[in-house]
Amino acid sequence: MATQPINCEQANERITDWLNNQLPETDRVALEAHLKACPACETEANSVRQLWQLMGNVPTPEPGETARVRFQAMLDTYKDTVTTEQESVVDNLLAKLRQLWAPKYAFRLAYSLVLLIIGVATGYWFQRSNTPALAYQQQIDTLSTQVQEMRQMMMLSLLENPAASERLRAVSYTEEINQVDDKVVDALLTTLNNDANVNVRLVTLEALAKLADNPTVREGLVQSITRQESPLVQSALADVMVKLQEKRSIKPLRQLLRDDKLNHLVKGKIEQSIRELS
Amino acid sequence: MLQVKAGNMDTMGLLFERYHRPLFGFLFHMTSQREASEDMLQTVFYRMLKYRHTFTGDGEFRSWMYHLARNVLVDYSKQNKRSAHQYDLADVAEKIGGGPAADERFQKEQELDTLHKAMAKLSPENREVLVLSRFQELKYEEIARVLNTTEGAIKVRVHRAMNELKKIYLTLENGNATYKL
Repeated sequence: MATQPINCEQANERITDWLNNQLPETDRVALEAHLKACPACETEANSVRQLWQLMGNVPTPEPGETARVRFQAMLDTYKDTVTTEQESVVDNLLAKLRQLWAPKYAFRLAYSLVLLIIGVATGYWFQRSNTPALAYQQQIDTLSTQVQEMRQMMMLSLLENPAASERLRAVSYTEEINQVDDKVVDALLTTLNNDANVNVRLVTLEALAKLADNPTVREGLVQSITRQESPLVQSALADVMVKLQEKRSIKPLRQLLRDDKLNHLVKGKIEQSIRELS
Repeated sequence: MLQVKAGNMDTMGLLFERYHRPLFGFLFHMTSQREASEDMLQTVFYRMLKYRHTFTGDGEFRSWMYHLARNVLVDYSKQNKRSAHQYDLADVAEKIGGGPAADERFQKEQELDTLHKAMAKLSPENREVLVLSRFQELKYEEIARVLNTTEGAIKVRVHRAMNELKKIYLTLENGNATYKL
């Protein structure tokens, strides 16, 4: 096979490949032919070859012996990490299971402990506080009874006060007394019948009307009808009687009608009341 | 390597025995730093383990190894942008020691020193192809696979690198000559 002659440029391009032994056979023959013929290219090729050979002389230092040791150490560590990774998959699962279980267990334990403490504490507290609480209750009861008694006494004494305003206050106290005893009722009825002030008598009437469940009060009220002279009290009494539907009041009311001094307005009122009662 | 991928770590020792010298040579020629190259050697082997799943099996192991080594080099040069190429002359002297005559030895040392300086002055891309083709004795085809390019491109690059190296070498040699005078 005849080789194609090549020019200097082509030759130059192939010198490196030629030195590198990477030139196809035909190209190699062509290049070598050209180099023989062309002194310039031959010089060039020689200088490159010198350099190329010099490069071949460049010593390649050996890695130190430590390299192998380091590599082994690295490999061993790596193997360890890989195996631990594989192991850790199982470990992780176990750990997760443990985690799932452990906090709950701890939580339960803590919960029951807290409950126990609360129970003990409350029991202890109750035991300590029960007796005093009862005593307090008793004390308070006693005290309130005493206050009631005090009020009653104050009211009774106030009713005898010369000032009408004080007597009004005394009557208003009766609303605050829970259990009105006969003494109070007596005092009120006396006030209703005898008090000089109309206003006091009216307020007393109101107070007594509220106590109308008491038969003594009812009776007192009925008896009081004929004793009243103030038209205001008379009509108020008539109203109370209608409200209480006290039939026994009809007789004293009729008696009142026969009184000449009776105010004509009150007369009409009483007549109406009698009609409503009968 | 496929065995390593499958989980047989002990095969890795075999690979180390077979390849750590050329690999170290590559790293050393690229950086001219002995210690750094030893560190990088470990890094490359570590990455082989770490990224063993990326080794597909098609293509040679050697190409894959150089591929990893290049990445390590890139990381290294990023970290050491400032550190210039400083060749450990001691290493060379050590190697040459015990040669023929002292004069000749000195001359050879000079030449090698100049060559190293010239190599250091090459651009990393050009230095790379020269190291791979001349020092590592890889075929163009293989270099192309490592660099993810075509054989033709490598051919051109080697040629250009060689011309550049020659130019730098001659300039340095002339400089030395002037200095000597």
